[in-house]
Amino acid sequence: MATTSFTAPKLSSPTFQTLCRNFPLSLPIPKTLSSFSFHLSPFLSRFHLHHHHYHPPRFHPRRLFAVRAESENGAEPIRHYDFDLFTIGAGSGGVRASRFAANFGASVAVCELPFSTISSETTGGVGGTCVLRGCVPKKLMVYASKYSHEFDESNGFGWKYDTEPKHDWSTLMANKNAELQRLTGIYKNILNKAGVTLIEGRGKIVDPHTVDVDGKLYTARNILISVGGRPFIPDIPGREYAIDSDAALDLPSKPEKVAIVGGGYIALEFAGIFNGLTSEVHVFIRQKKVLRGFDEEIRDFVGEQMALRGIQFHTEESPQAIVKSADGSLSLKTNKGTIEGFSHIMFATGRRPNTKNLGLESVGVKINKNGAIEVDEYSRTTVPSIWAVGDVTDRINLTPVALMEGAALAKTLFQNEPTKPDYRAVPSAVFSQPPIGQVGLTEEQAIKEYGDIDVYTANFRPLKATLSGLPDRVFMKLIVCAKTNKVIGLHMCGEDSAEIAQGFAVAVKAGLTKADFDATVGIHPTSAEEFVTMRSPTRKIRQSSESQGNMGHEAETAAGV
Amino acid sequence: MARKMLVDGELNQTNKEGAEYDFDLFVIGAGSGGVRAARFSANYGAKVGICELPFHPISSEVIGGVGGTCVIRGCVPKKILVYGATFGGEIEDARNYGWEVNEKLDFNWKKLLQKKTDEINRLNGIYKRLLSNASVKLLEGEGKIVGPNKVEVTQPDGTKLSYSAKHILIATGSRAHRPPIPGQELAITSDEALSLDDLPKHAVVFGGGYIAVEFASIWRGLGATVDLFYRKELPLRGFDDEMRAVVARNLEGRGIKLHPQTNLTELVKTDNGIKVITDHGGELIADVVLFATGRLPNTKRLNLEAVGVEIDKTGAVKVDEYSHTNIPSIWAVGDVTNRMNLTPVALMEGTCFAKTVFGGESSKPDYRNIPCAVFSIPPLSIVGLSEEEAIEQVNGDVLVFTSTFNPMKNTVSGRQEKTIMKLVVDAETDKVLGASMCGPDAPEIMQGIAVALKCGATKAQFDSTVGIHPSAAEEFVTMRSVSRRVTARGKAKTNL
Repeated sequence: MATTSFTAPKLSSPTFQTLCRNFPLSLPIPKTLSSFSFHLSPFLSRFHLHHHHYHPPRFHPRRLFAVRAESENGAEPIRHYDFDLFTIGAGSGGVRASRFAANFGASVAVCELPFSTISSETTGGVGGTCVLRGCVPKKLMVYASKYSHEFDESNGFGWKYDTEPKHDWSTLMANKNAELQRLTGIYKNILNKAGVTLIEGRGKIVDPHTVDVDGKLYTARNILISVGGRPFIPDIPGREYAIDSDAALDLPSKPEKVAIVGGGYIALEFAGIFNGLTSEVHVFIRQKKVLRGFDEEIRDFVGEQMALRGIQFHTEESPQAIVKSADGSLSLKTNKGTIEGFSHIMFATGRRPNTKNLGLESVGVKINKNGAIEVDEYSRTTVPSIWAVGDVTDRINLTPVALMEGAALAKTLFQNEPTKPDYRAVPSAVFSQPPIGQVGLTEEQAIKEYGDIDVYTANFRPLKATLSGLPDRVFMKLIVCAKTNKVIGLHMCGEDSAEIAQGFAVAVKAGLTKADFDATVGIHPTSAEEFVTMRSPTRKIRQSSESQGNMGHEAETAAGV
Repeated sequence: MARKMLVDGELNQTNKEGAEYDFDLFVIGAGSGGVRAARFSANYGAKVGICELPFHPISSEVIGGVGGTCVIRGCVPKKILVYGATFGGEIEDARNYGWEVNEKLDFNWKKLLQKKTDEINRLNGIYKRLLSNASVKLLEGEGKIVGPNKVEVTQPDGTKLSYSAKHILIATGSRAHRPPIPGQELAITSDEALSLDDLPKHAVVFGGGYIAVEFASIWRGLGATVDLFYRKELPLRGFDDEMRAVVARNLEGRGIKLHPQTNLTELVKTDNGIKVITDHGGELIADVVLFATGRLPNTKRLNLEAVGVEIDKTGAVKVDEYSHTNIPSIWAVGDVTNRMNLTPVALMEGTCFAKTVFGGESSKPDYRNIPCAVFSIPPLSIVGLSEEEAIEQVNGDVLVFTSTFNPMKNTVSGRQEKTIMKLVVDAETDKVLGASMCGPDAPEIMQGIAVALKCGATKAQFDSTVGIHPSAAEEFVTMRSVSRRVTARGKAKTNL
C-alpha cells in the first residue's frame, strides 16, 4: 500500500472509474484498459480518495505502451483469467511485485515451496533466499560472531572476563531459527494483507498464461518468474562431502576447522562468521586476491585485515577433490597439495538461477548459458506475457535490486507507468569483518569510463582501535571525475561501512560533486566525517595525450597539505 | 603555496609590508578553531603565532592545553568513555547470541581512564606537531589583548612577553558553568567527570542537554545508578520533539532514572555522600553530582574592555558573518562566539577566516544543514530542520516520514529498544528539509545523508537510491508512505 503515496494510480479518467465501480469484471472493455483488474476497483477508488493529493500535477494520457502484455497480439480474443498476475516464487522480488500489483488493484496469486532452512527442488519458503538463507540469517550470524572481536576490544576499555566467554552453538541456531520462523510468518501476513493468494507448492509454466502447481492449473494474464538462485558446487570428486551456504547457515554444531572455497562475498562473510565463532578457518581462492570485481585497494585491504584476525588465505589454490578419512575428517586436495583435518568444507563458488523444471523451454522463454532468464529492460522475457525479476535473471543479485525490479514491474503492468529499474549507483555491502560498503565505480572502472580522475584515500586507525590496541584500520576512498568534479565512486572498508555508505549513496546517485562533499560539515567524532574532510587527492590520474586507448594513464602524487 | 617563512628565532623578521608587526596573525587559544585558523593562515603564507595555557585534563583560568576542549575535555575523551560504556550493553546482548559470559563482569575504571589520558596526551602532541609543521610559533601562557594590534602572553613562570600582530584571533572557547545553588562546590562539571578517580556508584546528573544525557549514558553503561534531573518535560531542548521523547524512553530503558521538570536546589555534604535536594522536596544521596547546565564563553580574562571588543550578555564575542569583531584587527571563531558550538563548525569558521584574511577570498561559514550527534546510548543524530522548525519555516505543507523499527540485532538479543528515523519534506518542492535518527550507528549513518541535504536533495532522490541490505540506514531510502502531512492552514502561525 505504501507506494501509492507517490505513485498513485494514474487511471484517472472519471468515466473509467465509473465503469469500474458499476460493472462486473467480465465486461468486455477495450484492449487498452484490459490489463487492469476491475473486480478490485474499490481499491483503486479508495486510493484515489486517500492519496490523490500526492499526484504529481501532470496529465497522464492513457496511452498504450509497448511492453504491455499482449499488446503486440491485438487480435487475441478477450479471455477471462483466474488472476491478473501469477508469481512463481515468494522471495524478495516476487513478494514485492505481488504486493504492489495487488495494491494497484490487480488480482494476484503467488506460489512458493514449503519452508525449510535448506533449499532444494522441493523446499523453499515464503521470504526466499534473503530472509531464510541469505541476508538475514547471515547478518544474525555476523552479529553473533562479531562479539569475539568486541570482547577483545572491550579488554582495552577496561572490561575483564574471569573466564573467557564461550560460545554455545545450539543457542544461536535455536534463536536464529525462531527469528526465521517469525519472519516467514510476517511475509505470509504481508501477502495476505495485500490480498494476494498464497499457494504452497511447486509452480511450473504450462503455457504463456497457465501455471501448474502440483497438478492444479491456474490461468493468469501475466506470469512472473521470481524463483531466485541456488548455490552451485563444482563437480569434483568428493563433492558430496561439501556443504554450501544454505547448510553453513544451519549447522548442527560448530565446525572446528573449516575450509571455505571461493573468494567472493559469501566466502568472506562466512570466513568472518566462523572465525568469530572460534573455528579455525582456511579460505581457498583461485585468484591472487579476494573479491574479484571490487576496487583493487579494497581487495588488498580487506584481505589484510581478515588475515590479521586469524583467517588463513590460500591464494591461487583451486580444489580438485575432497577425501573423507577413516576418522571422519575431510581433506582438501588442491593444485598445490593436500590439507587435512577439516570438519567441514564449504563451497562458496557462485550461485545459479533456479530455472530447471520450470517448463520454460516448452513455452519458449529464453535462458542464457548460465541458466538465467533473458529479459528486456522492463523485465519481460521472450514470451510477452511472462516476466522475470530477481536473481533468476542474474542482473545484479541483491535483495534491494530485486525489490526495485519487482516494484518497477508492478508499475509497468498495473499502473500504466512503464518503469525501468535504474541500475546506476546501486550501493552494496559485504558483511565481512571488517565490512565493506561501496557505491558507484571502482577506480579501475572509473579510469576506463572517464579517463581522467582524482582519487582521494584515507587509511587510518580509528579512535576505538587506538584504545583497544587491536590492529584494526579503516580505509576510505573517493573517486572523482576530473572533468565534472562529480563523485563517481565511494568505497570503504572498516567498522560500520555498510551503514555509512547508504547516505553517501543518495549523494552519489544524485550526482553530487566533490565540492558538495567538501561543503558538508563533519559529524565529530565519527569515521564517516572523513568522507567530507578529504582535502587533497592521493593521486590524479590523467590519460597521457599521446597514448592510445585506456592503457596509458599516469599517477601523480599530489602535494599534501 | 605556503611561503613558510617563519623559523624559530627569527621572530623579528620583517613581513612583506614592512617591519611594523611581529606577526601577521596572533591566535589566542589552540583549540579546534584556533589551530585550524593558525595552520591554514600559515599555509597561505602568513607569519603566525599562537598561545595556549599549559596542558591539564581539567581546565581553569590558567589551565588549558593544545587541542582544546574537543581533544582534551570534550568530543574525544567523551567518545572514548562512550565506547567503553557501550560494551556494557553489548555484552548483555551477546548472551542470546549464544555467548556464555560471567554473570558478574569486572570493569576496571582506572584502566580506562589511564588509556584515555594516554590517548589525549598523544593527541596533544600531534596537535603541537601540526602547528610546528605549519611553521606556527607556539607560545605557552595566557594571552591578553592589550591593544588593537598588541597581545601580551604571561608565561607559566610569570614572565610577560609582548607581541604585535596585524590581526588577532580570539579562539579561547568556553567552560562549563555551574548554577549558583547552595553547595554547588560539591558538584563537578564535565571536565572532572572525564577524569574521575573512581567510577561513581550513584551519580546524579543535572541538565537536559547533550552533555547531560551523554554522561548519564556513560555511567549507566558502566554499571552505576544514575538519576537525571532536568527542567523541561523532555531532555535535549531544541531537537525534534519526537526524537527527544525517544531519547528519554531509551535512557529509561537502559536503566537511567529520569526526573523531568525538576530542579536541584541544594547540595549538602553528608557522611554517606552528597545529599541532593530538589525543588519537589525530594532527597537522595549520591557520590557524584554532575552539573551539565551549559557552558559560557571564556572572555573574562582577555582584557577585551581595554580595546573595546564587544561581547553579548552571555559573554560571547560579537562577530559579523566573517567572524570579524567590532575592532577591525580583531576576529573570533569557535565557542567563544557562541554561534554553533561544535568542533567541525569551529574548523569551518577557522578555515573561512584564513581564506578571508590571508587567502584573498572572502568566505562566510555556511550554517545551513550542519549535522550533529548526541552520543547517548543509543545515539541521536540530526541534520537540517526538526519537524517543529520545518512547520514554522515552510510556507506550504510539510510531509513527515517516520520509521520506527526493531533493529535486526535486537530480534535475537531480545533488547527492547526501537530505532526511529525521520525525514521532513517540503511538500511543494519535495526537498528534504531535515533528517533525524535515534539508534545504533546514527552519527555514522547521518554523515552521508548530510551531504545529500546540504545539496538540496529531494525525497524523490532518496527514493531512487537503492538500499543497502540489511542495514538500518536503508530505511532512509525506503520510507514510502507519509506518516503525516502538516498543512499550511492547520499550522498555528506565529506572528511575523
